Amino acid sequence: MASKAQQASLRLRIATYVFVGIWLILAAFPFLWTLWGSFKVELDFFSIADWTNALTGKNTEETYGRPFTGAGYHGAWVQEEFWRAVLNTFIVCFFVVCTSLTIGTLGGYALSRSGFRYTFWLLIAALMFRALPPITLVAGYLLPFFEWNLWGILPTTIIVLVAINQPFTLWMLHSFFQNIPKELDESAKVDGCTQFQAFRHVIVPVMWPGVITTGLFSFLLAYNDFAVTTMLLSESNRTMVPEIAAFLGTTYTEGNVMFAVAAVVSATAPLFILVMFFQRQIVSGLTAGAVKG
Amino acid sequence: MAEIQLKNVSKRWGSFVGVDNFNLTIADREFLVLLGPSGCGKTTTMRMIAGLEDPSGGEIRIDGRVVNDLEPKDRDVAMVFQSYALYPNMNVYENIRFPLRVRGTDPSEHEARVMRASAMVELDDFLHRKPAELSGGQRQRVALARAIVREPNVFLMDEPLSNLDAKLRVSTRAQIKNLSHELSVTTIYVTHDQIEAMTLADRVVVMEKGIVQQVGSPTEIYDRPANTFVASFIGNPAMNLLEGEIRDGTFRCEATEIDGLDAPDGPVTLGFRAEDSEVSATDGQITAPIYTLELLGDATMVAVRLGGALVTAKTDKSFRARIGETISIRIPRDHCHLFDAHTGKRLGG
Repeated sequence: MASKAQQASLRLRIATYVFVGIWLILAAFPFLWTLWGSFKVELDFFSIADWTNALTGKNTEETYGRPFTGAGYHGAWVQEEFWRAVLNTFIVCFFVVCTSLTIGTLGGYALSRSGFRYTFWLLIAALMFRALPPITLVAGYLLPFFEWNLWGILPTTIIVLVAINQPFTLWMLHSFFQNIPKELDESAKVDGCTQFQAFRHVIVPVMWPGVITTGLFSFLLAYNDFAVTTMLLSESNRTMVPEIAAFLGTTYTEGNVMFAVAAVVSATAPLFILVMFFQRQIVSGLTAGAVKG
Repeated sequence: MAEIQLKNVSKRWGSFVGVDNFNLTIADREFLVLLGPSGCGKTTTMRMIAGLEDPSGGEIRIDGRVVNDLEPKDRDVAMVFQSYALYPNMNVYENIRFPLRVRGTDPSEHEARVMRASAMVELDDFLHRKPAELSGGQRQRVALARAIVREPNVFLMDEPLSNLDAKLRVSTRAQIKNLSHELSVTTIYVTHDQIEAMTLADRVVVMEKGIVQQVGSPTEIYDRPANTFVASFIGNPAMNLLEGEIRDGTFRCEATEIDGLDAPDGPVTLGFRAEDSEVSATDGQITAPIYTLELLGDATMVAVRLGGALVTAKTDKSFRARIGETISIRIPRDHCHLFDAHTGKRLGG
């Protein structure tokens, strides 16, 4: 016979599962809905007459003879050359991550090992710049970029994104480095390393999860940025996010909205894969500061 | 082969003096222990020799060569850190090999040298483990092996035993003593534990507040402390120190009268060690009620209270008495140490 305590815990467990189940559906629903809808035509997914059309795909079946169609993807990728935006995004992300990690690891290491008092003020200044909305920087940049003929190209955007991103990477890596005991550097130096060799052979390998986590965050910032990319890139150099916004802005042609939906799915999928692939490093990186190593 | 010379070496941070005017020549193959309470500047002194800290003044020479401006890697020293500072991403073998690797030693020699070093500290069976999978004592031995693998000129050890439990500390201490004998390399060893200092050192430097208090062999330091600080720091229990006055060769303070001392009149501090004194029924120089009794197994410690201080005497293990009973402590004259009441400096020879 189950005791009262066990009954209570069973009820609690059921409640927990129900809650988690509901939460999961709520959280995942927008993604699943978009994924499902990306294989329909606009008249189904954005149907004014009957929302169930989005489920059954009535108009899609009338047009293409099947309830699913890849027309949105074809339109986005082939007709509108969405692959260009994908390529641009990856160029931007790659250079933003590489630059901000290089400066961030070297700078964070130096700041964490420096005994000078100005390091604190440098970090506070970095924090203040981090707090600024990115768009405030862009407004100031626009005129000089036009005048110097730098507007619209990828390198300019990369530099601006690095500038916005750097304070955060610096802070994050600095706190990772501070968790690594100083004796490790000193031991390496006595063992025969220069300061830089100690950094490369001893500190960076220990820091790896932190570097990956920080790199991922700065990748996400570059990947998801809208304010900077939409203001600073010309039409032909657009990355994914402003390109999707542009699809949405041309709703007068039937079907263009579906290009946006298909592009959204295309832009989200790599993130899922990336996070799943790196989840162990991210978790260990995020919790590394919580417990003393 | 290395002689280390420190000339007027100082370290200051702003107005704080970490090490003040340190002068010492450490002979080749000497085992020197820097001893003192925490914050006395002993670790700072060692770190300056290692090159991890820049001296604010003075000169450090290794084998006659001034090393003040040399990087740690160019000083040919090896150091064992208190926290061991093992490289967590490398296994034991790689940890020990690291100094050879970064110094570009001929790779064909690596294995033999790592094996020899690891055999010396009995780590042969653990070479493929990561530091996280080792016990404290094993980690300590990895740190030792990493220091000896390169056969450096100078060993520096910063409280290498302080993170070990008491039992392991004794056996590792013996191992270090044996290693230093076998390798016969100049060694500087920092500790706050006077037993480590006594057992390991050829010479001990006692420091306090950045100032050298006494330099000498363990016996000298123990038998002839240069001042009251050294007297109270060395020995367990600490030397009893009584503040009183000498008149006509007789020392007097509360419940105490010691005659036949060869010293001028005036206030002094008199010190004696618990093991030099005897407890007797009546004919001692200190007569007071027992404050506490401690049975140690091999002996009994009897303490009486004089003024604010406890005075301890060591007596036979079969000694039995009740707290509050009056006893007498006898102190042989030649075991009395006299110190200046104001400066704390040793008086006479």
